[in-house]
Order: sequence, then C-alpha cells, then structure tokens
Amino acid sequence: MSFDPHAILESKRALRRKLAARPVAEKLRLLDALRERELAIRGRRIQAESNVLREEPAPFRSKPL
Amino acid sequence: MDIKEVIRAINEMEGDGVIEGYAIGGAVGATFYLEPVATLDLDIFVTFRSEPGSLLVSPQRIFDYLKARGGTMQGEYVVVAGWPVQFLPPGTPLVEEALKEAVRSDVEGTSARVFTAEHLAAVALQTGRAKDKARLLHFVEAGVLDAKRFQAILARHGLEDAWRKFERQFLSDTP
Repeated sequence: MSFDPHAILESKRALRRKLAARPVAEKLRLLDALRERELAIRGRRIQAESNVLREEPAPFRSKPL
Repeated sequence: MDIKEVIRAINEMEGDGVIEGYAIGGAVGATFYLEPVATLDLDIFVTFRSEPGSLLVSPQRIFDYLKARGGTMQGEYVVVAGWPVQFLPPGTPLVEEALKEAVRSDVEGTSARVFTAEHLAAVALQTGRAKDKARLLHFVEAGVLDAKRFQAILARHGLEDAWRKFERQFLSDTP
C-alpha cells in the first residue's frame, strides 16, 4: 500500500488493463452484474435529486446518432 | 438478466430474415475491447428491411418478432432477457460504414457482430457527449486502436478538426 499518487494511478491503470484483457463472455457477465447494481442504486435515489444538473436526465431515452 | 441471450435472439432474427444485418455499438460494443463500464441499455445498429411495396423502413417487424418471443416494449426500447435494447438505423455515413465493416466475435460459442474499435472510437468522437469523450479516452489509453485505420476514418468523415480539439483537451500536457 502506498500513498504515492503515481503508484496509485499506475495500479488503477493496471487493474483496468487486467479487466480489459478478460474473455469477452466474462466481461459481458460483468456488464449484467453492473447493470443490476446500477438499477438498484438508481432506485434508491431520492426525488430531490431531480434538480441536479446532469447530462442524461432519464435512464431510457432516444439518442442522437 | 443475460446479455448473451439478447445476442442469440438478434442472431436468430437475422437468420430469420427480419433484419439484413446488425452490429453492437455503444458501451456494450466497447466492452469487446475495453474494461466493462456500467450501462443501462444495449445499442444495436441494424439495416432494416423495407416492407414490400414501400420505400419506408420501419422497426415494426423487429418489435413484432421480439414481442412474439417474450420481449416487451418500454418506450423506444424492446426489453429482451432483462436488457432494454434500442434498434438504431445508421443515421450518418460514419455509422453506415461502421455497420458495413463490423466484425464477428465469438462469445463462448455465440457469434456477435460488433463495430471495430476504430469505428467505436470515431463514433464517440462524432457524438461528443462527456461520456463519449471518456470512452474515446479509454480507447486511446488502452492502446487498442490501429492508428492508421483510425486516422483514415477521421479523414473520410471530416473528423480531423474534432480529433485535434480532443487531443488538445485531453492528450496534451499544455492546454
């Protein structure tokens, strides 16, 4: 464990490289899990948050090409 | 929730002649080359078949096909295997080319057609939202882009200025 910001950034990059190198099927299963988690988190957000400025206001919307 | 099941359903739809071809784009497409990043939906770019006697193309056949197989409609999405799937026509020459040059990838025995990394990166540059820029940066940092192919795509689709601006903003030490 180190508090050196360079070491921290490098370890983050290494983790991302490791994840990217996993087999596609495994990465798609991770997407399934991430989506379930994201939906659970969104479901708990309080209504007051609706005034917060954000790029994508709704989970499902049409996208410009 | 099973994204592989969605891919299988789309392959069947292609095999049954409902669509001429398809390719996975967006965040799910990027996952074939990068680390997975949370996303809520699946973007499928398709070549629609026009109805006999009509010049108009419609996604209705896709909706009908998937609904008959248990899919449900949710706004502009069809929910298949728990995933909201959006079927998009190629709205720009770049996306048209991306769809034409998409590649087959094997997902544990299931074939998936996906945009090339270079096209995904170019589409992200063209779309230009914050999350698209972040995705483009991931592509650059991961070193998965073929520089020559990427530059050629940028030149063909008039994206060189946008790329220079992106380079200045995100890849240069001096802003």
